[in-house]
Amino acid sequence: MTSHPAPNPGRGFWPVTLRQAGVLLAVAVGLTALVWAVRPDRLPLVADAAVYELELAAPLVTPAEALVLFDDGDFLFLDTRPVDPGTVDTISGAFTLRAATFDDDLRLLTDIFLPEDPLLLFGDGDLSPVSNLAARLQARGYENLVILKGGLADWARAGGETTPAETGGTP
Amino acid sequence: MKRWIGLLCRWAVGGTFIFAALDKLQHPQAFATVIHNYHLVPMPLLHGAALLLPMVEIVIGLALVVGWQRRGAAFWAAGLSLVFMAAISSALLRGLDISCGCFNTDGGHAVGMSLLFRDLLLLAACLPPMLMRDSGPEIDSLFRQ
Repeated sequence: MTSHPAPNPGRGFWPVTLRQAGVLLAVAVGLTALVWAVRPDRLPLVADAAVYELELAAPLVTPAEALVLFDDGDFLFLDTRPVDPGTVDTISGAFTLRAATFDDDLRLLTDIFLPEDPLLLFGDGDLSPVSNLAARLQARGYENLVILKGGLADWARAGGETTPAETGGTP
Repeated sequence: MKRWIGLLCRWAVGGTFIFAALDKLQHPQAFATVIHNYHLVPMPLLHGAALLLPMVEIVIGLALVVGWQRRGAAFWAAGLSLVFMAAISSALLRGLDISCGCFNTDGGHAVGMSLLFRDLLLLAACLPPMLMRDSGPEIDSLFRQ
């Protein structure tokens, strides 16, 4: 590649610089749109204020990240929705931990996992109740917690495995 | 000699911007949280900024490395460096204890004076490629032949 000098700074400097900056911005905008369109776990164009303004008790994971955790098998998934196990679809292999029956549900689960085990909590997409439950778990010594962003619906949309209502989760 | 200084600056700034963009491109949600922590970008623009900024960094980084639209790329790099310095200064003045999110979205360097100095160096390194007549071999020269 041979180097040929660009025009001198001075007359024409700003028009050339600004034109080039415009070209680069157009390329960046085009690529951003393209990447956004093809990405399966694309960020919504308008942010949900609740996601950012709520002080969550545990970090959020996207459905795509949760799929990786699911495949790794290290994390146990906890369904925090206030429904009876088996009456609604849920993430395959998920256990039930509800706010209303927190102590009873947790007692049943203490044989299955220990406080140091990594847990993923999910609900119907509303982060506030899931975060509250995470805080209650932390108070009992469960520290390795994450929350699924978007709940079961986004999990299913991302291609996550679910168990239909008839054969629902445990306990 | 001067042209090699220009080339070195191009590669240093370009490489820095490319490296800075990689983690942000992979984790847009986490980067949006980093931006939100500065409390400077309005909520409706938050995700747009989180999506666009890393791509701008990649494009200007690559443009500087290969020497395509070199002055425009250096102009953007200088502008972004100024924006970063303003954001960091603002966070320091408000006493925010946040991570800068400069190179990774998972924790990273806390905002502080050292970051301002680093961005000042980056800004200085943008000037030769923007102002110099010749800053070493570049793709643009092929199109001027």
